[in-house]
Amino acid sequence: MEAELEAELQKLQAEVTDLEKQLQDQRRVMDFDFRGNLLHTLGVVCSQSAVPMERQMLALRLQEEVDELEEDLKRQTQMNGIRVVSCRRRREEESLEKKAVAERAGGSISAQRVCVSGVCSELSFQVEFKLSELKFGSRTKQTLSDLNIVMEESDLQSFSSFLSRVEESQDLLLFFRTLRTFCERCDERRRTFAHLQTEHPSIVSLPEGQRSEVMTLSLPQLPGCVLLVHWSVQVNKEGGVKSSVELLPKIPENALQLFQSSPVAGAAEAFHSLQRILGVEGALETVVMAMSHDQ
Amino acid sequence: MTLRVAAYSKINDTENGDRIFERSLSCLSFLEARARQKKIGAQPQSRTQELKAKVEKLKKQRDRLRAEIDVNQNLQKLRSTMEGNEELEMADDSENAKLLMLMAKHTQLKDALLAHHLMGGYDVIKTNQDKSLCFSLATAYQGNILETYNIEICLSKPLRILRHNIPPFIPVEALAEEENMQKNVRGFLDALSLHLNGFAARKQQLKLVKERHASVEVLESNALCSHLVLMFTKPKEKTALLCSLEYSDHTRSLPTHVKIQCEEQDLSGSAQWQKNTQLLQDTPLHQALESMRKTGQIL
Repeated sequence: MEAELEAELQKLQAEVTDLEKQLQDQRRVMDFDFRGNLLHTLGVVCSQSAVPMERQMLALRLQEEVDELEEDLKRQTQMNGIRVVSCRRRREEESLEKKAVAERAGGSISAQRVCVSGVCSELSFQVEFKLSELKFGSRTKQTLSDLNIVMEESDLQSFSSFLSRVEESQDLLLFFRTLRTFCERCDERRRTFAHLQTEHPSIVSLPEGQRSEVMTLSLPQLPGCVLLVHWSVQVNKEGGVKSSVELLPKIPENALQLFQSSPVAGAAEAFHSLQRILGVEGALETVVMAMSHDQ
Repeated sequence: MTLRVAAYSKINDTENGDRIFERSLSCLSFLEARARQKKIGAQPQSRTQELKAKVEKLKKQRDRLRAEIDVNQNLQKLRSTMEGNEELEMADDSENAKLLMLMAKHTQLKDALLAHHLMGGYDVIKTNQDKSLCFSLATAYQGNILETYNIEICLSKPLRILRHNIPPFIPVEALAEEENMQKNVRGFLDALSLHLNGFAARKQQLKLVKERHASVEVLESNALCSHLVLMFTKPKEKTALLCSLEYSDHTRSLPTHVKIQCEEQDLSGSAQWQKNTQLLQDTPLHQALESMRKTGQIL
């Protein structure tokens, strides 16, 4: 009997050691922050002995916390103008030298890899970086590195030189500030174009759809004559966002010959002056109104 | 215990009572002795007993470990499904499954909130019984996360700034006016954040210069770090050069004007020093100095 039991004991001990290693390996990679009610719940779920009443109470408490967190997330989403689709974190081992340096100085270092994907006003992005934390007693120093940003293809052009600069300087804050400003300007454009199209559907058309950069103005009585409005939103490599609106008349050859002086060159300049006085929306409204009055 | 109660209730019946009482007492003492023995564990139970107990203990430990590993794996799976926005199917409706779902949701929400914070979000919190909002403004430079500033705004119209811990040389009230805080709180916070980040970047550059370039002397600097006068030393001749940097755009980390002067020499003709002036305008200060030191232009 004893021998059997001793054999079973050895087998169990080996199993337990193996499982402990498995758990350590899991924890090394996953980064769930178990504490408070969450930690308590972990205990209950893992044990076989919890009373159903205890589980129900915990479920209620946890649900309350989840509800509060959802409220909080809604507030942040509204305030920051960005919707987080997913945020995954993984622990990462810091190099042995970094650990040694930290320990020699009497502190400790830990790192995680964070991957956030989200949407800012219909523009999708994915951001990945390493976040290191150096702890000295009560002081904590956080550093961001290895920044990698991916944006929806269609908008990559305007952003590419800015993105490479931001990735180099690890300036995550600047990226989001610029992204938000860029989206706000694009939204302004979309609203203005949409408004003008609704008010004057026979004159205004958006060849590239809702998020078109170009708006064409034409009169049915003047076939072939089109006023092209190009509203571009550009991002320079320092993260500055600039809107510029240009008016380009397109008039067929035979019509041009009817004019004494070139109407094309004058129009673009005139529109710039109009913009300076009335602002973009005002200037565009004026042009469209002028065309609709001619009908 | 029941025995003790029974013993006391019989005390009223004296004659019979005494006898019963005595017998009860002896019963009690016997039971107490046995209990004491069990507690001490007495003489080592047989080896078999010992082994059985150990096996039980290890079995419990093994089961607990298996359960925790399972829970972690399930949480990971749940999180992946949640993020993929797939329909969460609860095959198992038990209390445990519900708890697991809640746990996964909890961690997902916390991670999303962390993301907002890291992206430079304003971490808005309601305070003062929902009458005000408190915002956090994060600053960072070259991946180093620096100071966080806070500002509390009262929600009663007109909106009022209740308090903040922003240094006085940042014009908070002026910005509130300029950016029309009354109609656009976020615009105001964005502008404030730009100023704070500009300041944090300049301050950090100055700190790194002091740390890494002992041979460069900082002659003048102001609290806003928008005006700097440095003294370089040329390596061979050991002549001193005066470099003044003006940062008139307080939202930027790079200077708007740079001037390098030397008492003994007129540097305006020197192509090298023209290049250095440009370098100081285009590159962070500590990096520009590093480059000048490496190429032997300054000590």
